[in-house]
This record gives sequence, C-alpha cells and structure tokens, in this order.
Amino acid sequence: MLLRQLRTGPDGATEYQDTELSAEVLSLGSAADCTIQLLGTGVEAHHAALRSRGSDFSIECQRPATVAVNGRRTRSATVKAGDLLEIGAHRLRVLEAPAGFDLGLEWEPDPQVAPSAYERAFRTELSMTWLSRRGAAWILAAIILLAALLIPYGSLVRQRTGAAVPLLVPSDRMWSAGPLTPAHQLAAGQRCGSCHQQLFVHVRDAACRECHRGIGDHVEPAHLAQTQLGPAQRCAQCHQEHHAPVTGLVVRDNSLCVDCHAKSDVAFGKLKVQPVSGFSQQAHPAFTVSLIKPSDKLDESGQVQWAVRREPITAAREQSNLKFSHQQHLDPSQVTRASDRGALGCSDCHVLDADGEHFVPITMQRSCASCHELTFDPQAPERQLPHGKPRDAILLIQDYFVRNAVLPVAPTSGFHRRRMPEEQQSEAAVCNGPPLSCAMQRARAEIENQFTGRGCVSCHEVKDQHTAELLERFRVLPVRLTRDYFPKVHFSHRLHAVQKGKSGDAACVSCHAVKTSRSSADLFIPNLPKCLECHSERLAVDRVTLQCSSCHSYHPITTYDRLREADAQ
Amino acid sequence: MIHQNILRFRNGRYAWWALGLTVLSVIIYATQGGRERPGGGTWQGYALGTLGALLIVWLALLGIRKRSYRSTLGSVQGWTSAHVWLGLALVLIATLHCAGLFGWNVHTLAYALMCLVIVSGIFGVYVYLSMPRQLSANTGGLSRAALFAELFGLDRQGRELARACDPAIGNAVRSSIERTSLGGGVLRQLLAIDRSLFMRTDADADHARASTSVVRNPDQQAVIDYVARRVPQAAKRAEAATLQALMVLLSRRQAVLRRIRRDIQLQGWLQLWLYIHVPLTIALIVALIVHILTTFMYW
Repeated sequence: MLLRQLRTGPDGATEYQDTELSAEVLSLGSAADCTIQLLGTGVEAHHAALRSRGSDFSIECQRPATVAVNGRRTRSATVKAGDLLEIGAHRLRVLEAPAGFDLGLEWEPDPQVAPSAYERAFRTELSMTWLSRRGAAWILAAIILLAALLIPYGSLVRQRTGAAVPLLVPSDRMWSAGPLTPAHQLAAGQRCGSCHQQLFVHVRDAACRECHRGIGDHVEPAHLAQTQLGPAQRCAQCHQEHHAPVTGLVVRDNSLCVDCHAKSDVAFGKLKVQPVSGFSQQAHPAFTVSLIKPSDKLDESGQVQWAVRREPITAAREQSNLKFSHQQHLDPSQVTRASDRGALGCSDCHVLDADGEHFVPITMQRSCASCHELTFDPQAPERQLPHGKPRDAILLIQDYFVRNAVLPVAPTSGFHRRRMPEEQQSEAAVCNGPPLSCAMQRARAEIENQFTGRGCVSCHEVKDQHTAELLERFRVLPVRLTRDYFPKVHFSHRLHAVQKGKSGDAACVSCHAVKTSRSSADLFIPNLPKCLECHSERLAVDRVTLQCSSCHSYHPITTYDRLREADAQ
Repeated sequence: MIHQNILRFRNGRYAWWALGLTVLSVIIYATQGGRERPGGGTWQGYALGTLGALLIVWLALLGIRKRSYRSTLGSVQGWTSAHVWLGLALVLIATLHCAGLFGWNVHTLAYALMCLVIVSGIFGVYVYLSMPRQLSANTGGLSRAALFAELFGLDRQGRELARACDPAIGNAVRSSIERTSLGGGVLRQLLAIDRSLFMRTDADADHARASTSVVRNPDQQAVIDYVARRVPQAAKRAEAATLQALMVLLSRRQAVLRRIRRDIQLQGWLQLWLYIHVPLTIALIVALIVHILTTFMYW
C-alpha cells in the first residue's frame, strides 16, 4: 500500500511524504502500534482496520468507534477509490491504486494535532491509569456497607417476619461478637434475635428466663430494696456470652461476692449479713450450721413440728431425739460388725450419696437393723416388734403372752441370748393368778421394760405419761437427723475422701472428731480453721486455693434441688 | 524534604507519644479482670475502642491536612511523623481492645482492614525513606519536566534532521519519535516495559522495491542500529554528516528516555502503596462504623 501523507512544510507549502506499507491488515488508531497512528480528539486507541477483500477493501471499526465514509457515519463499509474516510478530524482519501500497489491512501492529518502531541500522549503517572484511589474506595465502601450491614439487616427483618433466609445470604450472624457456648449455639446460634430481641437494647433477663426457668435471684427483691445496692444486675452482666471457648459463662472470681459482701455492714442497710472479704481467719466469719430441731409446738394432729435453726458451730448441740454413742460403736471391744465380727467403720453406716456431697439418710432398717434385732422374748427369737409403731408393739407383746398362756409352746433351741433371761423368768415366777391375768402381767412388765428399761428406750427418747391406759402411757419422741448442715454450700465429701496421705476412716476422722463422743448431741462439723489447714484464698505452698464459688452458689438452690432435697427427707 | 526525617522529626517526639499511648493502653488493659472478661465489652474495652476509633479518624485526617496548604495547624511534616508513629501504636491498642478475640464477623473485618492499612503504610514509609535517594541518583537532581523539555528539544531537532534525509531514514526517525513509548499502563510504568516502535523500510533483495513495516524498537536501539547501518552507504559527505548528527541525537535521546522511564518506574512504586492505603482506609472507616453500629444494635 502506498500511503501519501500531506504535510505543511516550514515554508507553508503542502508537501507530500510517500511511504510504502506492507501488511495484511492496516490498523488505524491513536495507539503507537497502529500501522497508521492518528492522534487527536475522536480517535480511539485501536479505531479501525482496513482489510483486503479480493479486489475491494473493507473498513471495520471497533466498538464504539465509527468512521464517516463520504460523510455517512458507519461501523463498517466497503471502500473504493475516490471514497473519503474521516476518523476524528483526519481525512483519508482512497486513491486509485498506483502500479504495483494494492491500495493508495492520501492522509490529510488533523490540523489541530501538533507534532508535539505525540510526545504529550504519554501516561507517566499512575493516576493516568485505571488505578483510582477514589474509585477503589467507593467500591470497597459500598461492598462493606452492603455485605456487612444492609443485607444482614434485610435478612434480620425477613427473619423476624418468619421468612427463611437463604443459606449464602449474609445474615446478622456476621455481627456476632464471637462464638457462643455450645449449648447456646445449639439453642439460639441460628437466630440472634432469640436473645437480642430488640435492637439497641441490652439482652433482657426475660429472654434468658424463657429457657432458664426456676433460677432464683441472689437477693429477693424485697430484701434488695432495704439495701443501698441499687437495682439488681442483668443476667448478662455476669454471664458474658460470645467468649467461647476461651472462657465459660459462669463467673468464678471472688469479686462477684466480695464487691458487695465486704461492705455488707454499711451497704446492706437493714439486712444483717456478716462482712466477708476473702477466705481467711480474719476475712471470713466462723461457720454456722443449720440444725433440724423439734420445736415446742405441736401441729394440729399432735405431731412434733421440726424447725431448721442456724447456730454457730462452737455452741451448737444436736437434738435428734436419738441416743447414740460414736465412741461405743467405734470401739471393737464393745461393738463388732454382725457379718464378719470386724470393727465398725464410718462407711458401715454412712454411705455417700450419688452427688458425692451428702450421705444416704440413716434409717433403722438400713443402718441399725443388721445388729439391733427387735426381739423381746428369748424364747421366741423369730418374733420381732414393729419398728416405728409403738402402739402395734404394745399390742403385739400382749397378744404374744396371752397366746403363750393359752397355747404353751416349747422353747426354740439354739437361741442366741441378747437379753438377760433371768430377770424375765423371775417376773414370771411370781405370778400365781389365772393364766390370762398372769400373761397380761408378763406383757405389761415386758412393755414397761421396752419403754423404760432396755429396748426401745435404749436408742429412743421415751416420755412416760404415767396414764393407767398402757396404749397412751408411753410416747416415743420422733427422730430427725440433720442431713445437710450447710444447705446453701457445696462441699464434696468425695473430693475429700483422700487427703494429705489419709484415706478411708482416717480421712473422715481428720475432720470429724467422733471417736470420743458418747452423746448424740455432740456436733462433729469442723469450723473454719480446719478448712484453712489445707486451703487458702491465694496461691500458697502446701495449700489448695479456694474461691468463694468453690463452696458458695450465687443463685439460691433451685426448685429442682429443693424437690430433690424434700425427696431425700 | 519529608523523607529525610519523618521518623526522627523533632528527635522522635511522636515516637515517645506513641510509646506513652501504648503504655497507657497496656495499663488500661491490665486493670481488666475479676468479674469482667477482657474484651471490647468492659469499660476498659470501650475506652480502648474509643481511643482506637478516634485515632483512626485522626490518622485519616492526614489526607485532608496534606491538601489544605493554608492550614497552620502544625506542619505536614509533623503530622506525617505523628501519623506513622501513632499508626503503629494503633495495632496494639486495637489488639488490646478486642483482647485477641477474633472470628468471622464484621468486628474482625474492621481489625483485618486496619492491619492491611497499617501494613501498606509501613511499605509506604519504607519507599518514602528509600526511594528518594534512587530518584535523585537517576535524574541527577533534574525535575521530570526538565527531562521532558530536553526530550522534546531532541525530538524537534530530530524532526528537522529527518527532513533532510532520504524518506526511509526520515520516516524511521520521525516514526521512532512519534511511536516512542513511555509509561503507559500500570505494569508498563512499574516494570518499565518499553513498547516503542518505529517504521522500518527495507529494500527487497533485488533493490527493486522497498516495503515499510512497523517494528519493535525497545530502548531505541533498533532505530539507532538502523541508522548506523546506513552511514557507510551514504553517497555524499553531507549525507554522512547528517547521519552522524542523527546518531548522536538518537543516542542522547536514548539516554534521556532511560532516565525518564526509570523515573516513571520509581515514582510509580513511590505512589503505588497509596492506591492501596487510601481506599483501604476508607473501607476501614466504613467497617469501623458498621462495627460500632452493630455492637450497639446487639449489645
């Protein structure tokens, strides 16, 4: 192809500059790699291409560029000699192809484009490229605003109307401050609104109580009103979620308690609570135990009413209406186990309950009956008195002796004597009356023996009302043993069953000094100094650290625990 | 010059400020405990968060302060020094604020963006401290405008000389001027890629015809070689002299172009980090707003 460029020379005259170009495709545009480089306004980097089509040539523009062929704007056209192509302000006239050429083009450049325009077309700064600080900032800002705020908010609104949110759509879970504890994740992990019921409002206690029913307040509202402590805290102020798995939900720090209880003398107003600032002889008050004691009043049916009384350990006495000597029972020269004649140990009577804290309640049947049979006549070892039913016992004794008077039976051989038979025989020997009255006399003697001599009265407190009617005369006082001396405190006997080189009974008696006790009124609950022998509030050598929460509960015993306790009684 | 001592501005005054802020933050953080778990939700967490958020806003204000030439609110140099040191302190303040608790959520998004901004800033400080020496070594202290003035002067002379040469040489020289590539797209600027071209006219084997095509001319070497090959073929003394002058001129032009290209490359690297730092800063501010808003929506 012959390209004839028309130029204005320094003298103002028009000059020709002919160039021979050989290429399959002639590219036209402002880019430097175009065969014909056209600068100026209205010219794209790669504006158009000229191609040979047999004997003809066609021009095709790249979108959105156009070319004017003889004044008509088009995107592609077939060109022939004589046509005028206009690209921007450049004019290209198609010439008759000179001899030896396929095409001739006469190029009249844009007069507005000075030679220096080529030099000034350089992009020498990053700001001249597609890079844009502002653009990138807008795009990023829009993405974050949409994906992190607006779409999750939309999901939230949709969720609250009950509609499902597709899995991959950003939801308000993006706003979560951190992982939930596993149980909460399971229960409410998919719906933040289960707890966060209202935007811009703290999680309300009502939301917690929807599931956690029966949790009691630490201070009864009526009591709180008497203090200077202000309103009760929200659940979430202590139970801080979204920290899993680093920390749990339950606060164990001493400040939970001592922040208020250290100043209880001034801040608790009318409530009388001893100040506690830690776990030491000075910082913690001495223990008080809760003892079950019979009150002086009887209820409507004439039964003894029992009441729980809190008393300091130093002065407290048990009042269970049971007679019992630990000293006697633990002395193998006096008492041995029925089964193997071995010395009795603590666990023969005191069996740890499943909770590891309390003991299975002591009952006649479970704890005493293996040794203490309720026989009353050595001649009839198979006959036993019914336990806990004194009236039936009286009737049974009378029935027995009357029956024996009417139907004499041979004494059973091989009887192991527990009582003193001489005494009974001497009583029987003095009766000279008719057999029935003698029998009733023997029965009376045995009944009186049971309630005043040895028998029921050996273990029970019996009140002799001195009435003529035998059935009304003796009243066996009911027995209640205290099961939990510290009902609001945790103490694991299981964890203390092995301690400082002691185990078994040695571990028990290291705290409970029972070996010398002859009275059931004695109390064996250790006081604070005993605990401090092994425990301290701070890290110390040879001491196990205790926090308030190791023994105390913030929340009062729940309904469930109360039910369980009532069950156990 | 900013690059000389932004870090040591006034004996590192702002380094001490940053250190003080860091120590203060650690003290605030250390008072957490007891019933409260360390994190954004304690009063210490809120205090550190407020401090961090204010710091982010102030750090971003450097972009405005830099442009307000009339401002007398401290020197830009001082602001930049403080920007660098306090920006570094921000990493610790934000980490203490969140107590190292991270997750796939908007809060960690804000933290991650903040870290990216700071890392890009550290790269910026590095180039601000290291590039100016290379820049002045390259240009010999000349401004880019002066280099371009020299180039355009050479271009003008080249066109004049080209007019006096035969069409093939004239066209080659003129096209090499017109089709010189400098800079261009992002990669071409940063990697100094030279896509220069020129129109080369070659005679056929039988010298009957000559054809012209656009060929590559990296570093202007191809056009210099092309002209050089023509020198021995010069028919007249005057033509030989013109070709010699052209050779000198094209070689000078080659040297100037190298300097300009290197200058574009260095300046590109000097500015590139800002194209990351600034948009990420805006993204961070938006994420920060979302973080604060959602915290109080669900608190």
